[in-house]
Amino acid sequence: MNPDDDLPPTDAAAALRLIEDQRSETTRRLEPDPRVLYWPWGIAWLVGFGLFFLRFSPDDRVLVRLPGWLPLTVLFVLLLSAAAIQAVAGARAYGQVTGDSARRGRWYGCAWALGSLSVYAGLGRITEHLPHDLAALLWSATAVGLTGALEMAGGAIWLDRDLFRLGVWISVINVVGTFAGPGWHSLVIAVAGGGGILVAGMLAHLRRRRAR
Amino acid sequence: MTDLDPVIHAQARLRVVASLSALGDGDRIAFPRLQELLAMTAGNLSVHLRRLEDAGYVEIRKTHRGRTPTTLIRLSRRGRLAFEEYTEAIRTLLDPTPSKEQS
Repeated sequence: MNPDDDLPPTDAAAALRLIEDQRSETTRRLEPDPRVLYWPWGIAWLVGFGLFFLRFSPDDRVLVRLPGWLPLTVLFVLLLSAAAIQAVAGARAYGQVTGDSARRGRWYGCAWALGSLSVYAGLGRITEHLPHDLAALLWSATAVGLTGALEMAGGAIWLDRDLFRLGVWISVINVVGTFAGPGWHSLVIAVAGGGGILVAGMLAHLRRRRAR
Repeated sequence: MTDLDPVIHAQARLRVVASLSALGDGDRIAFPRLQELLAMTAGNLSVHLRRLEDAGYVEIRKTHRGRTPTTLIRLSRRGRLAFEEYTEAIRTLLDPTPSKEQS
């Protein structure tokens, strides 16, 4: 045992500094950087839905002659990468902490997985009876709607203002994009949705830095 | 600085308690992770944890994760209270005028 560390702090100011430093250091290391959590999703939406808009543009036009399979493939690869990055960052930060927060995180992850499965199972049954543009709109509006709802719920669970506001924003632009129609929906989600996620990540990052 | 809780009023244990206080109320942290957060040797951390456990300030639970034995640590209700009182006492020493409620 280090003989020095059983000594009291030199004075009250040193004690308070020690408390504050140790608490903020612990919090910082137990919470992943918000930019790592948000930005990969923002980029996935920006690029993925952006390609959708360029290939499957409003009024059945094609703004850029991309292969038809490309937008969906790119979107899926980017979404899966974002999920993987989030899983690794979460495991590194929360790893070896057990209890209520771990359970909250697990159940929330479960809500995403099972919620997506149950919603998409229904969509899968009806899309074959729809024209391509309406089928695409139905899938993306449902996926974005579910995301907005779960983000608001996440904000409520962790009392996380940034996450809740992002959920509200995404739900609102989803309504706007849906009424604007096929093609336009992709543009709205790419720019306002993807951009919104990038901004939310930055705001969460700044809020955390200020809190320190 | 004579009336301060002698269990917490030592640099190493104050760091341990401050770190544990940053965890969520229902959370426990594994020994190696706490050790890494504090940059203390395992032996040193054990000694201080035992002292805190004897005072009833931390709860140490030995369990298994799969087949690996794990030691999980958290601040007890009493420990959290003692830490809050200690922090309040320090703040009063620094600023004897009644301050607004700290969160």
